[in-house]
Amino acid sequence: MTLWFPLLLPLLGAFLVLGFKNPRAAVRVALGIGIAEVLLLGNCAWKLRSAGVLQQGRYLRADGLTLFFLINLGLIFAVVLAYSVGYLRHIPKGRFSSPRWFYALVFLFLFTMVAAYLSANLGMLWIAIEATTLASALLVGFYNTKGAVEAGWKYLIVCTVGIAFALFGTIAFYLAAVRGGVPAEMALDWATLMTAAPGMTAARELLKLAFVFAAVGYGTKIGLVPMHSWLPDAHAEAPAPISALLSAVLLNCAMYALLRLDAITSHAIGGNFSHTLLLSFGGLSLLASAFLMIVQRDLKRLLAYSSIEHMGIVALGVGLGGPLGLFGALLHAFNHSLAKTLLFFTTGSVRETFGTLRMDRIRGMGRALPSTSAVLVVGGLAVAGLPPFGLFVSEFAILMSAFTQSHYLLALLMLAAISIAFGALLYHFQRMLSGEPPGSPASANRPRPLAFEIAAVSICGVCLLILGLHVPAVFISVLHGAMAVLQ
Amino acid sequence: MGLVEFAAAKTLASSAVFLFITVLLIAAATRTSTCIVLFAAQCAVITMQVVAMAYLHRSGEALVVAAMVLLVKVLAIPYALLRIRNRLNVPADISASTTAAQSVYIAAALILLAFAVVQPYARAFALDSEMLAVATALVLTGAFLMVSRKKALMQVIGLLVLENGIFLAALTTTFGMPLVIEMGIFFDLLMCVLLMGVFVFRIRDTFEHVDVSRLRRLRG
Repeated sequence: MTLWFPLLLPLLGAFLVLGFKNPRAAVRVALGIGIAEVLLLGNCAWKLRSAGVLQQGRYLRADGLTLFFLINLGLIFAVVLAYSVGYLRHIPKGRFSSPRWFYALVFLFLFTMVAAYLSANLGMLWIAIEATTLASALLVGFYNTKGAVEAGWKYLIVCTVGIAFALFGTIAFYLAAVRGGVPAEMALDWATLMTAAPGMTAARELLKLAFVFAAVGYGTKIGLVPMHSWLPDAHAEAPAPISALLSAVLLNCAMYALLRLDAITSHAIGGNFSHTLLLSFGGLSLLASAFLMIVQRDLKRLLAYSSIEHMGIVALGVGLGGPLGLFGALLHAFNHSLAKTLLFFTTGSVRETFGTLRMDRIRGMGRALPSTSAVLVVGGLAVAGLPPFGLFVSEFAILMSAFTQSHYLLALLMLAAISIAFGALLYHFQRMLSGEPPGSPASANRPRPLAFEIAAVSICGVCLLILGLHVPAVFISVLHGAMAVLQ
Repeated sequence: MGLVEFAAAKTLASSAVFLFITVLLIAAATRTSTCIVLFAAQCAVITMQVVAMAYLHRSGEALVVAAMVLLVKVLAIPYALLRIRNRLNVPADISASTTAAQSVYIAAALILLAFAVVQPYARAFALDSEMLAVATALVLTGAFLMVSRKKALMQVIGLLVLENGIFLAALTTTFGMPLVIEMGIFFDLLMCVLLMGVFVFRIRDTFEHVDVSRLRRLRG
């Protein structure tokens, strides 16, 4: 039951919240369900840590890798839930834009992501990841403005087509497994595939084909260049808590799927092929997004391109492989989710104060919004990969791995891209922060931040700092557990 | 060989031809409603094929899959699409960026391309190269319809044709995926079409047209 409860609670919660028409009651119920869900996820993580592997029925299974990503999901979801309580005041009234619809869709979105992590089966995994698109498309279009509708449509079409390719890849894996002698009803279970992988060497070409399709398909969801076109639009047009969820949890969720398939492929035919593919996608994403960050005009689009950059770094880490590369990649995915959540949280109050997220129209933010500006600077330094924040440690590990494997060109490329991205962030942020705020000092009627928001922001900040100064031993052992599954 | 076996084998052998015909007709069609009906016809051919396979392999699971194809793809989705189309109140033409004749030539070229690319895989895995070519051709023409048709609904139809191709690929290579997975995929597909319907209405209400090539506010 440890795995069933955290899976089913969000599904039930979604329908329960819909039943509360009174906005205040809906928010309270949603908070209650959300806290219960975080506790259930925590319980699941606790049991998983002592047991190592949990299997419930034929379709639910969790191991060390799941544990790591569940911790990530639980932490970010808790923070986003706390932040969303105050954020809902930004949302204009409309037929489907009441708190109950917001939380119902958020819980459905959460359900699909938990399902992706807990499914024991590559087919189920595919279904869950496709369902994440469906559940979050309405959240992307939540504001119902022209931009939001366009972004929602684009997100739905691009990701559905992309994910269709991943289905083709999954079918090819299935075919390879069946031809390799795995019984048909077991041939999609990833645990079975991992043990049976060495026997599938005969289907070398087929596995290569399967992995290419899977990488393109799940890569669309991860936002790897050149399949990234939906990502900046969706992140820019979604409400801030949803942008945080998309960037910090959904991208990692798709990365998790690709990690599983990469592990199976490398077990069967050696890591050379799949890792080279990941290195090229990662390098391309890193370079393209770093340059595109310079020319952005919208704050949230800038943050979205920064997400592409960091997912590129994660893909590089996985592609480099080895203990150090994989360690860096997983840690980087975790760190990035914390830092990006922090940054997306600031966009809410920026939009409220300046009425826009166009960076050329925002001036004197340092004076108009001192505390938000402080958070923006901390988050900006963190995503730029400066010490003492966690992203420095993980980027350093990946760079080290590149140098020790004599991928000098790749290491140089990564250093250059990180520097360009840092320059872009610095340029945009200093222009927004400096100068005089436009109009009269309207600080008097500015709503004070809620205790919930302060708590959400400080949890992210403190975690980033801890991971940057000294990664706790417990967390390292969780990371090693996750890496052991993949190697 | 009994008469039913003979009929089943004939259905399997000729379904490729019928599927190619539906693909070419969809490429040639100039009205959205025609495309929807042709899509339903295409799915009906696929249903026949699954039934024939189920009979030849004596598989109960495949019969369930056939029933789902019939219910979801032949009846539910075309019905929903036709309703959406009628309630949208927009001109019936598909506003393609290529003429009907050009589209047919491109679809035919894609079919030839599909035949060429599947040969090595068909040989290596001893699979029916015709069916594999149909599957690939459906994927390619589906993608072609999505990029060349400007109406939002036509993009949905392109996506559905593409998905049909992937379904056929699974059917011919592995005799279908496990039943639970197939059911999940059908559920996802149905939800996806419904959600796209919601978005088509939202596009019409916020932009006052459904021409997705004119949605270009978000750039860079």
